[in-house]
Amino acid sequence: MRHKIRMTRFVVLSLLLVLTSFGTGSVQDVSARDRVQIRWFVGLGTGTEAEQIAAQEAVVSDFNASQDEIELILEVIPFDQAYDVLATQIAADNAPDIVGPMGIQGRADFPGVWMDLDPLIQETNYDLSDFDPALLDFYYLEGEGQLGIPFAVFPSFILYNKDLFDEGDIPYLPSNYNEPYIDWEGNERPWDMSTLREVAMVLTVDANGNDATMAAFDPDNILQFGFGNWAGPHNDLRARDTIFGAGSLVDGEGNAVIPPHWVEAEQWFHQAMWEDFFYPNLIYSQSELLGAGDTNWFGTGNLGMWHTHMWYMGWGTANLDADWEIAPMPSHNGVVTANLHADTFGIMKSTDNPEAAFTVLTYLLGEGANDLTQVYGGMPARISLQDGYFERFIEVQQAAYPDVEWAEKNWHLVTEGLSYPDVPNHQEGLPRSAESRARYARYAEEFASDPDFDVEAELEKLRLDLQAIYDTAD
Amino acid sequence: MDTTRLYDPHGTKLAAYRRAIIRRVLVTTLALAILSLYIMPLVYALVTSLKTPEQVSEPRAPIVPSERVTYDYQGDTYDVYNVPTEDGMQEWALVDPGRRCSGFIDINNPHAGLIEWEGNWRGLEPVRELSFYWSNYPDAWNRIDFPRLLGNTLQYAFITMIGTLVSSSLAAYGFARFNFPFKNVLFFIMISTILLPPAVTLVPTYAFFVKSLGWGGTWWPVIVPHLFGNAYNIFLLRQYFLTIPRELEEAAYIDGANPLQTFVRVILPQSVPVLTAVALFHFFFAWNDFFAPLIYLAGNRAENPISVGLSEFRSFYQINVPLILTAAIISMLVPLMIFFLAQRYFIQGIVVTGVDK
Amino acid sequence: MSTKLHELSRSHAQRRALKRMGGRERRDALWGLFFITPWIMGFLAFYLMPMVSSLGFSLFDFTLSAPEDARFIGLDNWQRMLFDDPNTWHSMKVSLGFLAISLPTMLIFGLLLAILLNAKHLVGRNLFRTLFYAPTMVPLIAAILIWESVLNPSTGWVNRLISLSGFEATGINGLRWLDDPSLVYFAYTFISLWGIGNAILINLAGLQNIPTELYEAAAIDGAGWIRQLRKITLPMMSPIIFYNLVLGLVLQLQYFIVPWVLTEGTGYPQGSTSFFMVYFYKQAFTFQNMGYGATLAWLMFVVTLIITLVLFASARFWVFYGGGRED
Repeated sequence: MRHKIRMTRFVVLSLLLVLTSFGTGSVQDVSARDRVQIRWFVGLGTGTEAEQIAAQEAVVSDFNASQDEIELILEVIPFDQAYDVLATQIAADNAPDIVGPMGIQGRADFPGVWMDLDPLIQETNYDLSDFDPALLDFYYLEGEGQLGIPFAVFPSFILYNKDLFDEGDIPYLPSNYNEPYIDWEGNERPWDMSTLREVAMVLTVDANGNDATMAAFDPDNILQFGFGNWAGPHNDLRARDTIFGAGSLVDGEGNAVIPPHWVEAEQWFHQAMWEDFFYPNLIYSQSELLGAGDTNWFGTGNLGMWHTHMWYMGWGTANLDADWEIAPMPSHNGVVTANLHADTFGIMKSTDNPEAAFTVLTYLLGEGANDLTQVYGGMPARISLQDGYFERFIEVQQAAYPDVEWAEKNWHLVTEGLSYPDVPNHQEGLPRSAESRARYARYAEEFASDPDFDVEAELEKLRLDLQAIYDTAD
Repeated sequence: MDTTRLYDPHGTKLAAYRRAIIRRVLVTTLALAILSLYIMPLVYALVTSLKTPEQVSEPRAPIVPSERVTYDYQGDTYDVYNVPTEDGMQEWALVDPGRRCSGFIDINNPHAGLIEWEGNWRGLEPVRELSFYWSNYPDAWNRIDFPRLLGNTLQYAFITMIGTLVSSSLAAYGFARFNFPFKNVLFFIMISTILLPPAVTLVPTYAFFVKSLGWGGTWWPVIVPHLFGNAYNIFLLRQYFLTIPRELEEAAYIDGANPLQTFVRVILPQSVPVLTAVALFHFFFAWNDFFAPLIYLAGNRAENPISVGLSEFRSFYQINVPLILTAAIISMLVPLMIFFLAQRYFIQGIVVTGVDK
Repeated sequence: MSTKLHELSRSHAQRRALKRMGGRERRDALWGLFFITPWIMGFLAFYLMPMVSSLGFSLFDFTLSAPEDARFIGLDNWQRMLFDDPNTWHSMKVSLGFLAISLPTMLIFGLLLAILLNAKHLVGRNLFRTLFYAPTMVPLIAAILIWESVLNPSTGWVNRLISLSGFEATGINGLRWLDDPSLVYFAYTFISLWGIGNAILINLAGLQNIPTELYEAAAIDGAGWIRQLRKITLPMMSPIIFYNLVLGLVLQLQYFIVPWVLTEGTGYPQGSTSFFMVYFYKQAFTFQNMGYGATLAWLMFVVTLIITLVLFASARFWVFYGGGRED
């Protein structure tokens, strides 16, 4: 009996101990100020690196000091975990109020959770005249409303390695949109996909110094490639095919489609990999020649031309010991398309304080935008902020990478790329986005590893499988 | 030699001594051979932490950190290559690269001017010299707040280590030595908590801690569950306790000790090695525990542990591999030291054993 | 345990003894419950509810980002998983296949290394133990970066080392560890072996509990190393080996992080890395089908439980407890 009593006392005591330690946990929460708390979730895009976090924290403390109604709290989750954490928070009814910066894909992967900003814009008379209407449309989704206000844009362009052009006595690419390419024989040719193909083949060189147009060319010993897309060989067919024109894998009725010009594009890329050899296939893309699995092919100095976006500039060429320049996007059938990436912040439908969240949103798009676009590396979507943008950008890059003549580059082509956006965007949502993407990623992997891949047949299989996935969406 | 013989007329001691030496050499050589393979990736990390990102991504770069030799000629800087010529290998600077034919300058005789060389320069081996890039260490150290991150981690690791040791060893002793109703069922329920992948219970667990208890942004959801023991440790300790002969405890009971006293006086001292093992691997688990602190401490960066801090080295677009590896190496120093000190508890025969033969 | 008839035939003293025994049994039970109380409290507070909820999820069409639209669909998820979804069995096969390669390798390697690190002839034992444990301390994010580089077909140290032996392993046609479906499990086994420190640690702890007299006696009897291993080390270590076996089984069946980080869950190359947990994670989080994901997780639970029960049943034939058998 004595044992029993002592035992019970022990259990009761330990229980008490545990309970009191629970109690101290909630003390902090009780002392919460009477300000409205707004949680800002960062991680679906850029913004998770130490210096960026510090800059964002500065914006947060500036905001908190600027008024006494709202307390802004920053939650940073690394990209690799951000999707899962955000999904968990939503499922557990603990969603943040503001999410961003995020690209179009980030937004599309969480369909139905974003608040239509239109009523708040009307209510507060928020001035949208400083934004390009075409960009505003980017965030307007039929049936869901205005899901974002543009924050930063990342137009795409062609980057080329001038040293490789010099080595092969190949004339440089045009410096303006609507300008022809003058080839090595002095002929004027339109800057289009077939010209790009020929230039790319001449830029592809094997160990004996032969280029891909020559009969003696040895495809097993390539030392230098002609052309590549930032998304790599086996990632995203929507990103690479958009150079042939914007398109979508879903039509207005929700059916799976492969746009005819993308069928053409896919055949072009397959030929580029396996017959013309100027586009790296899967094995080459992972070789040390192109950075041993890193996707920064251009930075190795062994790629002639590179289709990339504004976010690449700076760090991307940091290790490149060669001169480079920006060129316009080539046209296809007379139409130029420059893939556009765009970042925004979204407010979640589930927020308890939409007005406060909107106040924060306008702060990030306004007072905070200058600092934030610099640390995020994007071009401000606000027209009035674009003016001084490149001067500041050049200054920052010149300090970081003094060997490059940053001021001399064709920056005007970046801004002009905004005039050729891909509508619909190549990152726009599909029914069951993540599942559909996983399916076409499998397609692209086989595409890049199989020389005998039957593009047309496989695209048809892809279409049917996508249709099956779409059909499971509500 | 003769003197040895004098003391050891049959040579048995000498032979035994020799045998011991040979065994030492053999065993240690074997261990060294396995270790050198086993540790290779870590050596790679160490070597890489002394490189610049350029050196990592450079094709055909040698294993040791090294830099390309360059040569200044007429105001410009050029890379120097080993060029095969009729006079053997020459160190020439590449001035005018071409696909089939390039122009070089002999760095030992620059006045000879441009030399035409037939062949593709990309096949040439660049001349390199050793160059250790130490500044990754201060760079990594300054990028994130190591002292604070390590402090938070140490605190978490120690508190939960004590908690899990106490509760797990109690529970393990209960399962190992006592009969109670539904014991086997309870034991399997306990095992089953580790059979279900933790990711599937994430949402309800998160909801419970953050919504029901309001513990978001605090350490509580990360620490408290460990204070109640976990199946991994309980199971291991139970296995170990079961190997301890009962005679020792029976002697304690005869002396009038109750089970708790017996546990503390007899079982715990017998179990120092396994308790050390549990303590250590809980400590290292906590040291690298990433997801729970990440999701529960979101919004409270000042409380982050080192594992979460390390993720701030990764940018959205690129990875500075040498810098991340440097930071990882720095973060390993504390646990390595602790391990080195703690393993003196793994010495055979430290405890009295009384197995009947 | 004893019938009424027996009880009646007992003497008074015996009956008193039995009563005492009964009291002792009750006390024994109470003490047992006392010792496991902390765990029971933890289980009730932190495990039970989430486990039950996740089982409940498997009966719902539950999209993570739309919890309010969750819909009860009965056993539809279970039917889809068991009968309609080819990925279920494909990924189960991948996981079991990997288990068959990695688990025995890890068990044997972990035990042999621990024996080596416990050898009294080893010079610099403490340093060796620390260095063998060191890889286990490498943060995962760094460990995967390291392995990606070390296994790179053209620049990786592994292929460079193999090339030293004369076999041309580097280059475009070299050994593509992470890209070749026939090599990828070996590569993953290397990575698993690299994190074997905990198993070594547990084995080391177990080895300390074997009385040295046993070896001395065996040595006097003229037993060699192999014989000592078979007659002393293995039986004495059997409870610890059993632990490592069960734990290894559970962890290898839940193998997930390495392929997830290396391939982002694509199953590259050719679906060979779509482990069951990778498929689960993809469904539950990437596709946000938590209802279906929970179903998959519970299937894995059942499969693991069955194998674990078989192992426990087999234990009575080969696991030797120095403290005598319990239960």
